[in-house]
Amino acid sequence: MTLPRTTTLRTRLTVYYVAVLAVLLLVYACLVFALQYEALTRQMVHDEVQDVITVEGLLYFDTHSQLQVQQNYYSRPQSHLLVDRLMEVLDASTGAVLYRSPTLNGMSMGDRLAPSEGVLGFNQRRFELADGTKIFMVSHIHQMAGRTVVIRLGYRLDSFRSYMGRFLLLLLLAVPLALALAAAAGQSIARSALKPLDQMNTSAESITAHNLHDRLDVANPNDELGQMATAFNNLLQRLEQAFFQLHRFTADAAHELRTPLAIVRATSEVALQEQRSADEYRNALSSVLEEAVRLNATIDSLLLLARAESTQPGEQQTVFPIKLLVDEVLSFLEILLEERDIRVVEKVEGVESANVLGDRSLLRVAFLNVLHNAIKFSPPQSVLVISYTNLEGPPSSQCITVQDQGPGITPGEEERVFDRFFTRTGTAAGSPPGAGLGLAIARLVIERAGGSIRFETNVEVGARCVVCFPVATLDPSEPAPFALNSGTA
Amino acid sequence: MPPSKPTILIIEDDRKLSAALVSGIESAGYEVSTASSAEEGFFLVHSVRPQLLLLDLTLPHRNGLDILRQIRQEGIDIRVLILTSHNTIEDRVEGLATGADDYLGKPFSFAELLARIDALLRRFLPPKETFTETIGDLVLDTRARRAERDGQQLDLTAREFDLLLYLAANRDRTVSREMLARDVWRESSRYTPIDNVIDVQMARLRKKIDDPFSVKLLQTVRGVGFCLRETRT
Repeated sequence: MTLPRTTTLRTRLTVYYVAVLAVLLLVYACLVFALQYEALTRQMVHDEVQDVITVEGLLYFDTHSQLQVQQNYYSRPQSHLLVDRLMEVLDASTGAVLYRSPTLNGMSMGDRLAPSEGVLGFNQRRFELADGTKIFMVSHIHQMAGRTVVIRLGYRLDSFRSYMGRFLLLLLLAVPLALALAAAAGQSIARSALKPLDQMNTSAESITAHNLHDRLDVANPNDELGQMATAFNNLLQRLEQAFFQLHRFTADAAHELRTPLAIVRATSEVALQEQRSADEYRNALSSVLEEAVRLNATIDSLLLLARAESTQPGEQQTVFPIKLLVDEVLSFLEILLEERDIRVVEKVEGVESANVLGDRSLLRVAFLNVLHNAIKFSPPQSVLVISYTNLEGPPSSQCITVQDQGPGITPGEEERVFDRFFTRTGTAAGSPPGAGLGLAIARLVIERAGGSIRFETNVEVGARCVVCFPVATLDPSEPAPFALNSGTA
Repeated sequence: MPPSKPTILIIEDDRKLSAALVSGIESAGYEVSTASSAEEGFFLVHSVRPQLLLLDLTLPHRNGLDILRQIRQEGIDIRVLILTSHNTIEDRVEGLATGADDYLGKPFSFAELLARIDALLRRFLPPKETFTETIGDLVLDTRARRAERDGQQLDLTAREFDLLLYLAANRDRTVSREMLARDVWRESSRYTPIDNVIDVQMARLRKKIDDPFSVKLLQTVRGVGFCLRETRT
């Protein structure tokens, strides 16, 4: 049974419940009726047998050899039904009628002996009198005064039938009444059981971006509704966190964009304040232009972050050897290394060409940022150590450690350097500070690829950045690793 | 009689940007017409018959792509360069598929815009027959990939030669870091490390081609980029 989707859960529950109850009640009523019918029939047979036994003692032949019943039979108080009883006595051998009770009004109870009546014991059967009255009778063979007679004793069935009819009517009337009561009770039980849901509904309706800290009341954390409310509250918790991060990020971004804008504004205003030389104007415009470029770079980085954040897992992902990517980035940055006379020492432990799974172009940006960062902070003529270690699994992972000899990271800032817009002071050679998004992008991208990036604490000299990835196994359907290597080199 | 200047039509609703474009493009030696709406622009396409259209995509009332579609349907012979702040790969693909010849995301460097305009209008000229580029006393042999100045062989790395060649091909014109990153380093996007690499590479190139000589060819235009030009003193 399907109900229209517009009905409430409460109504649907009640309807299903009442329907099941109706079927159960009908089955129950049928059973009760059948049992009652059976019990009353048995009682009737019992009464008739008792009657027959009683009658046997009261029958006698009078002086005219006529069969008679002693009249005190009617005065037996326990035989309340006996007034209505119908009786016929036949001669067993001739089939002649020896006696008929006055209640029969001369009608026969079956004339000749039926085949089943000749046997011992009590025979029971239904019969219809000549006037259409339905009776239920018991026959019994009896010896008296040297003759074998058959005593037939029956009751009219009409009172029994009307009684059973009334009983059935009563049962059938009780069923809808019970169903109506059950429906009302079910409706009210469902209403009170679902009441917390209504409350949750109201609270949920009122939660907006401004009061994300509001939570639903959890009446009983163990029942289903309580579990739902708890789950919903956890969802709100996560949403609130994400919302807060977004909010802070937007504020930070706006702040970061303000600085170059302030420079643009101040420079332009100062330039226009009074008559200046062409060189001064040129200088001011160049400064404005530089800030415009810087603004653009920050926006590009923000868009890159947004892109990395919105990338679904599995999208744009390929399996490629990580060392090749790092070497590619190093050769791109080689000019910076040469310029500062920084020597790169590579240490490879274990498998050289471990593969990782991820968005290659984004991971390239991540390593570009990490390595550029290390070079930026390295003093001239220092050594940059890049080591590859394979950690046995499962799942086995490949770690790339970048160790520079720069000033290192202030203790306690190992995590903060990954915050967006975090900038460290003291870059070597006075290179301009970045927007502070490089490491934030690196972390986001690396974590999206299932990896991790951190700066080790308690490093004696310089900073040590550790990037780890789970080792990806190539799909057998993909080209062999060396083919892939040559493809990406 | 000198050949008439090519005409460029700009359809851009931001008046300030439009004015800057007109002034910059006119001083680069082109005729310029402007329109601030799609309807006006479409009228000018028919009446002025420009050779090149600079088309902003976000216009009032009618999308820039609609105009482009109609221009292509009518089979008008005009090159179209899209200028837009919608700068995703999908937007580029859609723009080029609709019939644009090139695509430039806002904010762009003016140097790059001029380079693209030149390239689009030059596209159908026959390629150069020579394999040498000469700027003053600097001579590049593009086949042997050798450079010499004032008769002295310059010892350049492959990247330095590519860089010099690109600058020479765009001589007298400023090239931006964006152009260098894309055309010389073949980097699809720009990040801080790339600008750093470009600056250092440029400093080294200057050391080799300019430092030993009194006349400096390679100039840095602050905030804009670099320019290779023969300065007559």
